[in-house]
Amino acid sequence: MKIKSFVKRFFKKYHGFNFVCGLVICGIIFLAAFIAVFHTPYGSTEMNASLKFASPSFAHIFGCDNYGRDIFSRVLEGIRNTFFIALTTVFIGTFAGIVIGAGCGYYGGRLDHVLMRVNDALFAFPSVLLALVIISLLGPSSFNVTIALGIAFIPSFARIVRSEYKKQAALDYVQSAKLMGAGDLRIIFVHILPNILPVLMSSVMIGFNNAVLAEAGLSYLGIGVQPPNASLGRMLSEAQSYIFTAPWYALFPGLMIIIMVLGFSLLSEGISENS
Amino acid sequence: MKYYIKKILYLLATLIGVSFLVYAAFEIIPGDPALSKLGTDATPEALAALRHEMGLDRPFIVRYLSWLVECFKGNFGISLSYNRPVIAMIGDKLPITITLTVLSMVFTILISVPTAVLMAKYAKRTLDRTFYVADQVFMAVPSFFLGILLTYVFGMVLHWFKPGGYISYSKDFPGFIAYLIMPSVAIAVPKCAMSVKLLRASILEEADKEYVRTAYSRGNSTMQVMYRHVLKNAMIPLVTFWGMAVADMIAGSIVVEQVFGIPGLGRILLTSISNRDYPVVEAVIVLIAFVVCVMSLIVDILYKRIDPRMKRTDED
Repeated sequence: MKIKSFVKRFFKKYHGFNFVCGLVICGIIFLAAFIAVFHTPYGSTEMNASLKFASPSFAHIFGCDNYGRDIFSRVLEGIRNTFFIALTTVFIGTFAGIVIGAGCGYYGGRLDHVLMRVNDALFAFPSVLLALVIISLLGPSSFNVTIALGIAFIPSFARIVRSEYKKQAALDYVQSAKLMGAGDLRIIFVHILPNILPVLMSSVMIGFNNAVLAEAGLSYLGIGVQPPNASLGRMLSEAQSYIFTAPWYALFPGLMIIIMVLGFSLLSEGISENS
Repeated sequence: MKYYIKKILYLLATLIGVSFLVYAAFEIIPGDPALSKLGTDATPEALAALRHEMGLDRPFIVRYLSWLVECFKGNFGISLSYNRPVIAMIGDKLPITITLTVLSMVFTILISVPTAVLMAKYAKRTLDRTFYVADQVFMAVPSFFLGILLTYVFGMVLHWFKPGGYISYSKDFPGFIAYLIMPSVAIAVPKCAMSVKLLRASILEEADKEYVRTAYSRGNSTMQVMYRHVLKNAMIPLVTFWGMAVADMIAGSIVVEQVFGIPGLGRILLTSISNRDYPVVEAVIVLIAFVVCVMSLIVDILYKRIDPRMKRTDED
């Protein structure tokens, strides 16, 4: 019963056009990523020389690539890989961001000052570049890309969380919680965290988008997901050489990235305009 | 004046911090540059001699400081894989990436300001709604995918430019700029969409204020009010965004350079990452950090120029 009323309240609060559109797109993307874990119409590495550069048809709705692999299956697998890399990245970034940001924003003081200066220096630095440096240390692989992007996204989350905690810590409810004898950890996680959730949610969505774009960019450069595994960025870089003979090879992975990012940015917009 | 000195000191501190982090990071990873240079069958004596020559036998902090001092003099060391001074390798690539970034910035501003004004003028009407949807889509387009599309449409179908036909700036400067137009459009469009969205919201917020009503009542047309009065105030948040966008554009240019086959900083960074050529990577990173910091300084100065109110609050 409790869950039902929560769902009801949720939809009462968020029902704008942006939110609904975003929810539908994200739902489809999530479903695609989830199904691709268990099943794709054809094997994503299954080659067939007779189908080389086959144009889109009913059997292969997105056509086939230079090895005669089914592009739709590869796109599904690419969505899955990109989705999970972006999800893990955002999780690392948010978790570390909350810990650092909450500590700095709630306690303040000298440590806050020093950490925020370091944070500013890192924040000024483009996250793709930061990830590139970390990958050059760790070596290219999809696991390392996840770690690198996760670290690269910490500064932006820490910054947002810190400023929210700073604002909330000065409010009356925090003072009264303190007077009632609540510990710092309890105040940070039980009292303040739910109040900054809307802001956090919207920045998590934006962070997710940036992670998708960054992963696609890094894979395009050949340092993300390694072949023969499919990744949307990598497919684009392979497709580029054959763009004149098989334009659909480049078109579909690119469109999938756009749809994915669009869905989450609409969702983020819907959340921030209704709260 | 005091404010600027403080800002420049911050800039120096940030740069030194970045350089330390980068230098230390490459110190931690396993691998001995002397060993990789000589190969595994080198005699211990030769190895020790080379290590001494490269300065590897000194403590970390001494090496870092001497590297830093050399960097200030403009000497970034010698590339491990090409045996050339790093500065000579980077020097002629830097103008390419900077031109690309500046062009993208110019496109972003030139396209986004009129579009946002137009959207704000027709706010909540069909034109605004249509543009809004298009804007959301453009925000989601990765610049390298846009680059591929532009190459296909304008390079291969319409033959407006020759894909992969990069022209060096020392050979033919107008040709060089002409070739960079498509890449900079590819970098600019996503940022442009973002600026349009921000600027539209910012203009609409300003539009209700009293000075706007006064400007109208004196007989100005909508466009006059927009460009002479509203935009001045509405641009303030945008300057911050553009300042941060520069950093993203440099990062974006690394990827887009690969799409269009431009031999800029991006290519040198990628090859040296795959060759594990650390002096080059360090130099490129420090240089980019320098450009980013200088940009944020310029934004701070611009801020005060367009918003005199900032002057008072900061100097207290």
